[in-house]
Amino acid sequence: MNALALSDTLPGIAPASAPLARLVETGKVYGTGENAVTALAGASLDILPGQVTLIEGPSGSGKTTLISILGLLLRPTSGQVWIEGRDVSRLGERDLPGLRARNFGFVFQGFNLFPALTALDNVAMAIQMKDPTAKNPRGEARRLLEMVDLGSRVDHLPADLSGGQKQRVAIARALGGNPPILVGDEPTAALDTKTALSVMELLRDLATNRGRAVVVVTHDPRLEKYADRVVKVEDGRVVSISGENV
Amino acid sequence: MWTLARKLLLHDRLRFAVAIAGVSVSVMLVLVQVGLYFGFMDTASSLIDASSADLWVGKAGNESFEFASPFDERTYYKVASTPGVEHAERVLMNFAQFKLADGGDLGVQIVGIETTGLPMLAPWHVIAGDVKRLAEPGAIVVDRTEYSKLKIDHVGHTTEVSGVRAEVVAMTKGIRSFTTSPIVFTDLRTARSYMPTLGSDAVTYVLVKVKPGVSPLVVKAQIDQLPHLAAYTTHEMSERTRNYWSTRTGVGAGFFTTAILGVIVGFVVVGQILYSGTLQYIREYGTLKAMGARNSMVVRVILAQAMISAALGFVVGGVLAFGMQAAMAKANLTVALFPSLYGVTLVVTIAMCSFAALLSIVKVLRLDPASVFKG
Ligand SMILES: Nc1ncnc2c1ncn2[C@@H]1O[C@H](COP(=O)(O)OP(=O)(O)OP(=O)(O)O)[C@@H](O)[C@H]1O
Ligand SMILES: [Mg+2]
Repeated sequence: MNALALSDTLPGIAPASAPLARLVETGKVYGTGENAVTALAGASLDILPGQVTLIEGPSGSGKTTLISILGLLLRPTSGQVWIEGRDVSRLGERDLPGLRARNFGFVFQGFNLFPALTALDNVAMAIQMKDPTAKNPRGEARRLLEMVDLGSRVDHLPADLSGGQKQRVAIARALGGNPPILVGDEPTAALDTKTALSVMELLRDLATNRGRAVVVVTHDPRLEKYADRVVKVEDGRVVSISGENV
Repeated sequence: MWTLARKLLLHDRLRFAVAIAGVSVSVMLVLVQVGLYFGFMDTASSLIDASSADLWVGKAGNESFEFASPFDERTYYKVASTPGVEHAERVLMNFAQFKLADGGDLGVQIVGIETTGLPMLAPWHVIAGDVKRLAEPGAIVVDRTEYSKLKIDHVGHTTEVSGVRAEVVAMTKGIRSFTTSPIVFTDLRTARSYMPTLGSDAVTYVLVKVKPGVSPLVVKAQIDQLPHLAAYTTHEMSERTRNYWSTRTGVGAGFFTTAILGVIVGFVVVGQILYSGTLQYIREYGTLKAMGARNSMVVRVILAQAMISAALGFVVGGVLAFGMQAAMAKANLTVALFPSLYGVTLVVTIAMCSFAALLSIVKVLRLDPASVFKG
């Protein structure tokens, strides 16, 4: 299926459905005593299905910290993180992998694909890693690669794919296990403008037509047209949330 | 998971080749060194192992099999008349000077045996001549493998031992002595004539066959009551001899040290290769953890790589050891390779590769999944 060209048809405001995830007054302090660095202070954010959220802010403002806490990769030092209807902010590394596998798909600036594995293997392996009991992971991987328009490149190694194609493989991988939330830290930063926009279009499509919540950190204001809202972060604080009338 | 492990390993062919080479060399060293050790030990106890005796009786205080003190015939009769003994045979073993074709002398190990009936100890692996002629005065049997020392390659060769006539009536193949002196079989009487200083009725061992239904251990205990004698089951005698040579010569320690060094080399090479691979893919492993893969899954991917290296290295090393066995056989060295040695070596290889993976495993266990979003 092709990504729909939605650039000029911004969808309406998200329906009043329940949030998939919620940050409540979350804060993060790295280190202790004199070396303590407050990376995030009292950030609150609701993640809704079908919504594309951009996170912008100057370098060092806490964007990565924010999405790491949201993605359950990092535990906040204060506040709450609600997933699957409960506060999981105090859970340990024992319980978190399962929660991450069920709820999140991640994309990265550097793609993080295994260079030794084909596109298909990269995706299939992720499906299996998330759920060792998954049925037919290769068939599912093929389906996901077709969804991101890479049906003809399944047997290529990452080295034989363009940057945009690699990021599509990474998106297909993130979709493995069917998580409701996609989280990306500058997923388009390593791509040229045209490619960056087409990757963003794909993410927009996944939100609009497949109900995924997409949360993406970016420095690129040209991506804003794909977003339902833009969260501005400065000095560890959420200073504004545009496009949101709640 | 195996597929992933295999592909990760194979992606860098050179590194993979080095890992397999490391394990192979290690496996080969272990097999060949331990095999050589057992080969030597088999040689050391070959005469004992080839006998069909239930018990070996010698002078109490004998330390080594080869350098045994003689006793006299009266003692032999005491052993032979011990209750439960069905049959007893005399063996006289000692060293004598063998005259070579070029006029020189060579120390040989004379093994004088009783040649009537079906003796409990007799030359085996006969390739030429007639062993039955051994009963004739001056008849000897030598081994073809000692050709380089004795320079005898045909039956009928005549020479002298201790100045007394000797004629080769048969040849064997593969009976080698652990001491450097070749083994020369003769009849007991001929042996006595070669070693006159020991007296005309010298005996060094009495081989005992016990009566059917009688426990050799019971007979052994009774013989042990006789003054100045010690009896051993054939198995005990064999073990004693192996232990003696193993500890006296340090040959055991030498071979095993080399084998252990081989394991250490394999450990370091595989550990290094796995670790550098882990570091190379650390971001991807972090991604797996971020995605929700459990630590156990990621650890399995690394262990699977270690196991693939172990298995392939074991196969290659095992084949190499076979090659070395053939090459060493040409130099008259026995590398004893047997199934349980392969079995133990496989276990050692798996353990070695697992431990080598430990550093990599600790690395991914400590890997913070949040690191995937760090620049
Ligand atoms: N592990 C850490 N230990 C100590 N301080 C940290 C750590 N990680 C981040 N920080 C600090 O926290 C603050 C926020 O970092 P963060 O990475 O979230 O910023 P960012 O908005 O993602 O920046 P950039 O745009 O450069 O990626 C920074 O001051 C940073 O130096
Ligand atoms: Mg950042």
